[in-house]
Amino acid sequence: MSDFPILTATLLCPAIAVFLTLLIPGRHEKAIKSVNALAGLAAVVLAMIAWAAYDRAVGGFQMMEDVAWLPALGIRYTVAIDGVTVVLNMLNAIVFFTGVLSMWKLEKRVKEYFAFMSTLVFGVFGVFFSLDAFAFFFFYEVAVLPMYPLIAVWGSTRKEYSAMKLTLFLMAGSALLFPGLIALFVASGGETWNILEMARSGAFSRDFQIFVYPFLYVGFGVLAGMFPFHGWSPTGHVAAPTAVSMLHAGVLMKLGAFGILRIAIECLPEGAAYWAPTFAVLATCGIVYGAFVAMRQTDFKYVIGFSSVSHMGIVLLGLNTLTVAGTDGAVFQMFAHGIMTALFFSAVGFLYDQTHDRDIRNFGGLVSQAPVAVSMFIVAGLCGMGVPGFASFWAELLVFVAAVREYPLLGILAIAGLVFTAAYMLRVLGTAIYGPVNPKWNHLKDVDAWSVTPRAILVAVLVLFGFFPNLILDMIRSAAGGM
Amino acid sequence: MNPDTLALASVVAPLVGFFLGLVVFRKHHAVAMGVVLMSGAVSLVSTALLLFGGPAEPHVVGARWFTIGDVAIDFGLLLDGRTRIMGAVVALITMCIQVYSLGYMKHDPGRGRFFAFLALFEWAMLTFVFAANLLQTFIFWELVGLASFFLIGFWYQKPSAVAAAKKAFLMTRIGDVGLFVGLIFLFQSTGTLDIQSIGAIFDPEGLPPAIAPDRIEWIAALLFIGVIGKSAQFPLHTWLPDAMEGPTPVSALLHSATMVAAGVFLVARFHGLFLDAPTTAQIMLAVATFTALLASTMAMVAKDMKRVLAFSSISQLGFMLIGLAAGSLFAGFFHLTTHAFFKALLFLCAGAYIHHYGTNDMIAMGRAGARSMRITTIGLVVGGAALAGIPPLAGFFSKEQILGALHGPGATVFKVAALAAAFLTAYYSFRMIFLLTRPNDASAAEPDEPAYAQHAGDSGHGSDDHGDAEPWVFRFPILLLVVGSVGAGFLGDRIGALLGIEHIHHPTFVEMAPAIAVALAGVVLAWLEFGRSGARQAGFVSRMPALRTFFERRWYIDEIYERVFVRAAVAIAKLCYGTERDGFDAGADMVADGTARVGATVARGHNGRLQWYVGGAIVVTAALAFYLGRLS
Repeated sequence: MSDFPILTATLLCPAIAVFLTLLIPGRHEKAIKSVNALAGLAAVVLAMIAWAAYDRAVGGFQMMEDVAWLPALGIRYTVAIDGVTVVLNMLNAIVFFTGVLSMWKLEKRVKEYFAFMSTLVFGVFGVFFSLDAFAFFFFYEVAVLPMYPLIAVWGSTRKEYSAMKLTLFLMAGSALLFPGLIALFVASGGETWNILEMARSGAFSRDFQIFVYPFLYVGFGVLAGMFPFHGWSPTGHVAAPTAVSMLHAGVLMKLGAFGILRIAIECLPEGAAYWAPTFAVLATCGIVYGAFVAMRQTDFKYVIGFSSVSHMGIVLLGLNTLTVAGTDGAVFQMFAHGIMTALFFSAVGFLYDQTHDRDIRNFGGLVSQAPVAVSMFIVAGLCGMGVPGFASFWAELLVFVAAVREYPLLGILAIAGLVFTAAYMLRVLGTAIYGPVNPKWNHLKDVDAWSVTPRAILVAVLVLFGFFPNLILDMIRSAAGGM
Repeated sequence: MNPDTLALASVVAPLVGFFLGLVVFRKHHAVAMGVVLMSGAVSLVSTALLLFGGPAEPHVVGARWFTIGDVAIDFGLLLDGRTRIMGAVVALITMCIQVYSLGYMKHDPGRGRFFAFLALFEWAMLTFVFAANLLQTFIFWELVGLASFFLIGFWYQKPSAVAAAKKAFLMTRIGDVGLFVGLIFLFQSTGTLDIQSIGAIFDPEGLPPAIAPDRIEWIAALLFIGVIGKSAQFPLHTWLPDAMEGPTPVSALLHSATMVAAGVFLVARFHGLFLDAPTTAQIMLAVATFTALLASTMAMVAKDMKRVLAFSSISQLGFMLIGLAAGSLFAGFFHLTTHAFFKALLFLCAGAYIHHYGTNDMIAMGRAGARSMRITTIGLVVGGAALAGIPPLAGFFSKEQILGALHGPGATVFKVAALAAAFLTAYYSFRMIFLLTRPNDASAAEPDEPAYAQHAGDSGHGSDDHGDAEPWVFRFPILLLVVGSVGAGFLGDRIGALLGIEHIHHPTFVEMAPAIAVALAGVVLAWLEFGRSGARQAGFVSRMPALRTFFERRWYIDEIYERVFVRAAVAIAKLCYGTERDGFDAGADMVADGTARVGATVARGHNGRLQWYVGGAIVVTAALAFYLGRLS
């Protein structure tokens, strides 16, 4: 077992899916969907095996594979996972699998769609596993670029505009990122791109760290929906098709936060300490600001889009406490928010597929028209409000406790954000889900046994970690030993 | 039986009932209702056995849940006097209401779901009461709020019910922010989550705690903000009257032994902490006294029976907090217990009337012959008299203890205010009784409530059931609660013993005289104005129309909130959205457009004309030559 290259195998799941998808003639849509669903299932199974096989007592990075890639430039294919990435790996696998299932009814250019989507997933896995900063950046771009065609071709609501905006914002982020990474490489001696070796080299002076840190933080932060560079995110969410929204908000935004954690904070701790108060203020602004903007939205997806800005603010606030508890909470929140938004978009997608309407004012009393489907939405909403019994409660609890200790004022403001979050969530629930029934949608079909599967999986995950948060916390915590 | 097993059974049963009722038997109402009733019975029996045969010393049933870093999080059930009394009261009242709901919700298409949410509520409340650590307290405090959201908004097609549910959730959540921060500070200061350890640190008979006094004040004040929200004290009380939009059994449940009682219970739970924070205790005393008076004035002009009871809940919660803030754990807790009985009783009676007559208006119900419903009317009179504090009913003894706790320097003003509130309580209680049982033609003289004070009532839920006005599922809980409302007042010594209070002051007749006097004065005034034959059936406030309108509009507090806070929130949201659209988005578009325009301008030079290119090359070469020449 220990010799089995489990990480490469996980990476190969989406890669093989892309390969087979391209081979299968486009008219065999069922076959294409099945191949991708199987790849998703295989990824979930492998993520479970990795979870089980990871030795928490030892901690640190395990299951390492190391092969020279471009030796002349010191670039290597080095993959390994620690407690943090075990969790994020699971997140990506679950969202991939449930995302494919949520797109089961897709009819337009099925082959191309799944080719791009699995490419995206491939990139995300690569980012989570890579310890080589160059490979990290490479996979990062692989994950980001398919967003453009996925939104521009399969999207809705100003899709070209949104796709372009998203791509430009993220490219701008990369433009900051790449010089930052090259600076790390050069300053550490130009021998290795390995993140851990660079971090341990001690080659980065305090001034260097303070200068370079904002490049990396902001560069990654753009993808994490960092206030005030979040503008691409809600528009992108709205325009994207269901599974792309799921992956985008569920996983892709986490890449940004993960990059900050893995590269920026790891390599430049003094720079992080210098900038943390500033970025914590911005994160808190994001939490409150996102909630208030969400209050004014009328499109389901815009509400969720801005809620993501708010919830990712909690992740960034947790990271900026630079404490173990805050970081634990941030990683937990990445996971919980990923599953929660995937559930949100999956539920809204179900609604939109039938009604082609997303304006909350055009709905009412949905709970009596499609009780099971809507219950899923309610669960996601409760999770978003931080109600106990769901995973995000613990994540937010940890972040808030750490934040109140480090930055009392910001912590209290962030906790007050819970009220504003409840306000916009209840507004959606009260308008569209409850209230007088709009007879226009009486024909709405509730989920059947098949389409309930992906949503039920997501709900089960949220409840499981809501009741047994230690399953995840112990895993995340074991990473602290290695870092 | 083993107390550990009993404690576990009492909290696990409702959770099982909820899950089975909501998920498994979603489409089988009868099964769901049966399962929930059985789970309620298990809880009731377990908590009753614990009350009468529980462990003599405080005892925790618990297990390690998990650890975060080096902080161990346990899931535990703390069995001591406070939790054993409260647990039994909660389970008993819930059981009464579940039985009652069998009749009340008989024809409701969502009755299975209704029972499931009742079970969810019972689970949350019981686990909150028995909580052995701070985190558990907070979690189940929140879940109580969540369950009440579902119950208040149960008739989700009624916009007013949805609005009320939202309002209740949001207003209590404002308080929760305070509670949450307070609990974090409490944990940071004491280094423990364990409630027993915290109780030992703040033990009034032990050593003074090694925590800076102003920090204790801060913690107590923050916790009190949570209590203000949950127990509907001024200024966060406005959600409670609106919460009457829920089915009447929900009102009976939420406003007697549970939900609103959670706040008072929290103060009782951490009573030592509040005793060590004298400034906060003084603020609490002031807030509670003001609330008790404020809500009484609203109750004396309302015509909707449920509203009268809602305002009286706010007022009585104020009384409990007066007792606790004045330093008497026993007084506050005793009133919490007795109030649970007579308030649940009054709500069940209100529900029986409303169910039969299809209106909430007391005058209309009285004129339609409300007193012909014998059992309900007995319940009304006993419950109303207990609320008014007429001896020897339950409310009298506990209220007397609260008034007795107000002594010493500085307490006089509060005592006078509390007596005034007690007077108004007796007055509005008997106004309600007389309007319902002694209708006369003059009652038309009481002007109709203006539209803003009216409320839709429990209409539209199948109250077409005019067969038996008082089926046994109504009579049985009502009679049981009548017994409780009469008898609970005599249990003071036992309650005191369970709370660990050795000596309870039994007031002499002279000490009791003021309370009896104001209660009787209230009754007499109500009799003169509403009861005696030929009474005008118009309250003394009616002679002052401005004041009456002021009271009827609830001191304009809702309007003020609407104008100030809601508008402010909307304005901020608009501002943020405007910034988003016209600032960030427009800015990003401008950068993009600007880039495109620069590109277009430059592209204009690439027009394919050779003379342009040659000209360009000459200009550039010349400039370069000039520059290089300058350099050398």
